[in-house]
Formats: sequence, structure tokens, C-alpha cells
Amino acid sequence: MLLHVNSSLPFEWIKIAHWFGGNLSRIFAHTSRISAADIEEIRLRIGQPLLLQGCKGDIFLNASGNPCRQKEAYYITHEDLALTLERLTQSSLYAAEEKLKQGFLTLPGGHRVGVVGEAVLRGREIQTLKHISALNFRLAREIRGRARELIPYLLKPDGELCHTLILSAPRAGKTTLLRDLICFLSSGVPELGLRGQTLGVVDERGELAGMHQGIPTYDLGPRTDILDGCPKAIGMSMLVRSMAPQIIAVDELGHVDDVQALTDAIRTGVKILATAHASSREEALERPTLAGLFKEQVFSRIVLLNREQGPGTIAGVYDTLNGRNLYTRTE
Amino acid sequence: MLVLGYVGLIAGCGGIGLIIAARIKRRPQELREFLTALALLDTEIVWGATPLPEAFATLEERLEKPWQGFFAELKERLLNGESAAVAWKGAIRSQKGQFALNKEDWLVVQDVGKGLGQSDRQQQHKQLELVQRQLTLLQEQAGAWAEKQGKMWSYLGFLCGLAVVIILV
Repeated sequence: MLLHVNSSLPFEWIKIAHWFGGNLSRIFAHTSRISAADIEEIRLRIGQPLLLQGCKGDIFLNASGNPCRQKEAYYITHEDLALTLERLTQSSLYAAEEKLKQGFLTLPGGHRVGVVGEAVLRGREIQTLKHISALNFRLAREIRGRARELIPYLLKPDGELCHTLILSAPRAGKTTLLRDLICFLSSGVPELGLRGQTLGVVDERGELAGMHQGIPTYDLGPRTDILDGCPKAIGMSMLVRSMAPQIIAVDELGHVDDVQALTDAIRTGVKILATAHASSREEALERPTLAGLFKEQVFSRIVLLNREQGPGTIAGVYDTLNGRNLYTRTE
Repeated sequence: MLVLGYVGLIAGCGGIGLIIAARIKRRPQELREFLTALALLDTEIVWGATPLPEAFATLEERLEKPWQGFFAELKERLLNGESAAVAWKGAIRSQKGQFALNKEDWLVVQDVGKGLGQSDRQQQHKQLELVQRQLTLLQEQAGAWAEKQGKMWSYLGFLCGLAVVIILV
């Protein structure tokens, strides 16, 4: 039976306060009545109240850092956002150009900050974002141990990993589970007779390893090579050529180029461990890029996640080759 | 004894003159070193898209004193969460005493801090290029000025000492 292990990084408001500028830094430094570990997102919108979102619902914060009603909340100013953006980019907006084009920044630790504002276009391509109007801090979690219970469902009788796709809606713990799986596969699980595998990780958004100046924040195991900030489609073939991995792990498949690169990689004999946005197999089938992979039965295991018992709840494991449910979560 | 006193007076005045001359000669050197710093910073920003704290760490390694200390302080200030503009002003305030630059030079140095890091690479390049042009002009003027003034002060100290001795005698 799969267990729901729920441990997370020790979050402290005082550390979180360092990400913010101006009044916000002071507010978070004084926040004490809410546990930072319960918070999944921090939302800043100009002219709107300071909002925290987590497993216990939405919480508004006042200027003293205490939970309050909406009308008593601290309202975000343009200056708050500008100073925060300066802190996030270490006053180096030019260094974050590429990330801003994609609408997010990644902080050390793999935390992702979504950014919206006015898009500056050149032709049909976004050149950059200006007049930033909102930021969404998504706090990354490190949940260890859940993948250990999942691994037996993902192995063939000869101990080889099946091509595996993890599916879930946003904020359901795909990246966290993938990170845990990578670490176990890289380290090996002697009780299951699984020896450590050589893994190549294409960490396009910098969330899996949380690389900072070449050093990963998260432990991805002793046999893992990480290609940071590289588009998946290019990264997969680079890794195959350069690092000879047995398994390639990628987060958030979706682009048609990713699918092409993935099928090319499979032809070289590597195993694939990937995630994609879809709350069910049926929803995944409706997406053209994923539907092709399903049709060709590229992935022999599908792991479905939901938030029934918090992010990362494993709802089911399917064997697509035999059309069987290997595991279904029961209450 | 009196002769010894006269010799001491001439040497003392001459020494002061030499110190002033050395300080005058440092100015064009410091401006040249700052030009090198800006060229390196430009490369780090345009080609490497290197964040400012890392870029300042590189400058700290590559430059001589007193600019070494200036960029070391800037890096620390940025890592402590100050914005580039505030950190630049703060570093100038606390490091000014280590330099032989004059008021006009500092005005140009101050300009670098305005908008540093706050636009795309192309814009940053244009901004740094503009300051480099202004500095090249300043450095050329400072070179010619230092040549004349330096020589003058090297002799002036001794001559003043001599004049005082003559008056006393």
C-alpha cells in the first residue's frame, strides 16, 4: 500500500522575507502566527491585498504580518513590486531576460515566481515584460520517501524501469514526486534489488534541482547529471550524446518539440521519466502532443496524482500495455 | 645643528611636495583602471548575462586597489539586499577617501549607478558605452594635467623649503 508521507523543508518567514523589498520584507519578517510550511503560494497584485494561499485556504495579511480580514489587509503598492523584483533579480534585470520572456523567475531552492505585466512584442515573439503588475511565489516542497513505495509499480520483472509519465493538475506535486523518484533511482534501492542508475536531468525551469551557481539545492542522488536551464528538446539529445544516461528525467512535457526529442531519445535505448499537466488520462488524451505518445504506447506506466490528501497524493498507477490498474487509492 | 635643521626643513617640504605629486599622478591611473572595470562589466553583462554580484566579484579579482575594495563593497551590499543604485551611492560614500579622483570624476562615476541592472542587455551596453566615452575624455585631460602638475609639485616642495631657509638665514 502506498503511504502518504508528508514532510517538507523547514520554511521560516525570516528567510522568505529576504526575497521581498520595502514594506513586504518587514511584514514577512514579523509574520509568526501562521506556519510557513502550510503556505503554497504568496500572491502580490498591485492595488490588491497581500494574499497567502495554502492547504488551509486563503489568508490575508495586514501590515503587522498577522492574518486579518480582506479590508484590513496590507495593499500592495507599485513600489513593493518594483523593489521585490530588484531583490529577486539581484538588481540584474538583464540577467533574467530569458526567464521573464517565459513569465517566471526561479529562486535558489527551486521556488518559482510567476510574473505578469505588459508584454513587449517583436513580431509574434515576446521580447520582455514591462510594467509588472503581479507576482506569484510558488514555494517548492521537498517531500521524501513517497517515491520509495511507488518504485515497485514502475519496474519490469527484470528490474528495468518502465517509461513513466506522471500526470496531475497544477499544484498537485508532480515536480516534488519526480525529484524524489530521481533520487531513489540514482541511489538505488537494495531491498528491491534495484541498483543505482545513471540519470540525466534536463531542468529547463530550474525547479527540479534548484541549481544555484552550479550547485543543486536538492539532492538528486549520486549518479545524476543535471543540465540546468536548457530547453528539453535540445537538452535530451545533448545528454544522450554527452553523459550516456540510462534514464532521462524531464518535467512538464507539452511542446511538440519535446515529444519529438523524447521519441528520438527512446530510440537510443534510454528510459524516460517525465511529468505533464493533465488531471486524468482522458484529459491527457485530448491534448494533441500527449495523445500521440499515448497512441504509440510510448509510456507503459502512468502515475496519476491529486490533492485529496494534500499535494502529491498518488491516486493511481496504470499499466498502459496491459490496460490494468496496478494501484488505485482507496479512502 | 642649525645646518641639520635647514636640511630637515628642505627635506620635509620636499617630501610634502612629492606626496602631493604622487597623488596627482594617481588620478589618471585610477580613471584608466575604472575604464578597464567598465569594459569588463560590459562584457559580463552583454555576453555573459552575469548577475551584478557575480560580475562585481570578477572585477574584484581582476582589478588593483582601490577599485578592488570598491567592487568588493558593492558585491556585499547587493548580496545584503540593497538595490544597485543605492549600493553604488553607498560604496562611493564610504570608499571616496581611498581615491585621488576629483569632484568632476565622481560625477561621472556616480552616473554609472543610475539605472545599472534595470534594463535589458542592449540598453545596459549603451549606457556603459556612454560613460566610457566620457571617461576616456576625462582621462586624457587628467593625464596631461597630471604630467604638468606632478612635475611642478615635485620641485615646488623643495623650492619652498629652500625659500624658507633663505629667509631664515
